[in-house]
Amino acid sequence: MTNIAEARIRREFKEVVKSDEVAACNIKVELVNDTFNELRGEIAGPPDTPYAGGQFHLEIKIPETYPFNPPIVKFLTKIWHPNISSVTGAICLDILKDQWAAAMTLRTVLLSLQALLAAAEPDDPQDAVVAQQYKENHSIFEKTARHWTAVYAGGPKSYPDLDSKILSLKTMGFEEHQARAALSSKGWDLERATEYLIN
Amino acid sequence: MSTDNSSKPAEASAGAASSNPGPSENGEDEKAAVYECNICLDTAHDAVVSMCGHLFCWPCLHQWLETRPQRQLCPVCKAGIGKDKVIPIYGRGNPNPQDPREKLPPRPSGQRPEPENTGGFPAFGFGDGGFQFSFGIGAFPFGIFTSSFNMSDNRPGPPQAGSPQHTEEQFLSRIFLWVAILFLFWLLIA
Ligand SMILES: [Zn+2]
Ligand SMILES: [Zn+2]
Repeated sequence: MTNIAEARIRREFKEVVKSDEVAACNIKVELVNDTFNELRGEIAGPPDTPYAGGQFHLEIKIPETYPFNPPIVKFLTKIWHPNISSVTGAICLDILKDQWAAAMTLRTVLLSLQALLAAAEPDDPQDAVVAQQYKENHSIFEKTARHWTAVYAGGPKSYPDLDSKILSLKTMGFEEHQARAALSSKGWDLERATEYLIN
Repeated sequence: MSTDNSSKPAEASAGAASSNPGPSENGEDEKAAVYECNICLDTAHDAVVSMCGHLFCWPCLHQWLETRPQRQLCPVCKAGIGKDKVIPIYGRGNPNPQDPREKLPPRPSGQRPEPENTGGFPAFGFGDGGFQFSFGIGAFPFGIFTSSFNMSDNRPGPPQAGSPQHTEEQFLSRIFLWVAILFLFWLLIA
């Protein structure tokens, strides 16, 4: 890693640690190793969204050309969101791609991701299935997103009806996350999800 | 990391809350931060300021402009920016101020020196319209001769003298020669 990348991450790290957002438990960064080229981020789900009450963990990789090129960020916590892959956690956000600017920092990235959770852009999706559900069946989308937040991000418990559908697939021998993903993408239609899992 | 660890106890003892340094320290920080480069976040050196008022080290800004040659935007506010749209800043401390854009980093490679003047055609005939004119006409038939010779070069082997192919080629080149002479003659008349 070149000196500028490491020196900047050192400074930014202090900036985030000192910031008001940390005091309010909104965002957080942690070092993974001493070389400052990999970090763990954490953002709180914004209030009044299906992600409220959840804590979402992020993998942040700092390229050698940082800050001239953006950090490489993905969600480690599973999340149901049009701009985040429900499978890999990959993120579709312009500032992490061509709209990156060298003056942006880890703090602005984390706050932008938090803003993305509050305002999805289904017309520029990362997960096509989620984006379609978001546009065509918004109440099912919200319910699913809230359910995923409860299960994977420690959000408030909700929807026992969804849990029982997952349980019935589990008794058929399917793995829990697999069952949840299938039900989520099939609008919680048990029959269609079973069909999907068998094929 | 070791420096971080050593600074933590000092911070903790200075203020009641380690995340909230005392007011005087905070004030110092903010004063210094005004002169921080917006890219490396360190105190700007070889500083330049953009038209939109944003401060950078010239080497930092230069690298940003090199990274995105097609999209030269201010890293802070995304206003248009470029080498010719920044102003170097000279503080009092430097006795021999030099434009950082001339000094650091070395100008990008890809400059090419002026070609050496070999005393060729343009310098030689420039201003002498008559000479250039006759040269242009004289060169033209030669072009035709070479093209007729090239035709025979492309053949598999040289045709033997007296063979029908040889006579045919001699005939062809004679036609070309006559065409060239007629053309030259026509040019002189016209
Ligand atoms: Zn700088
Ligand atoms: Zn600007």
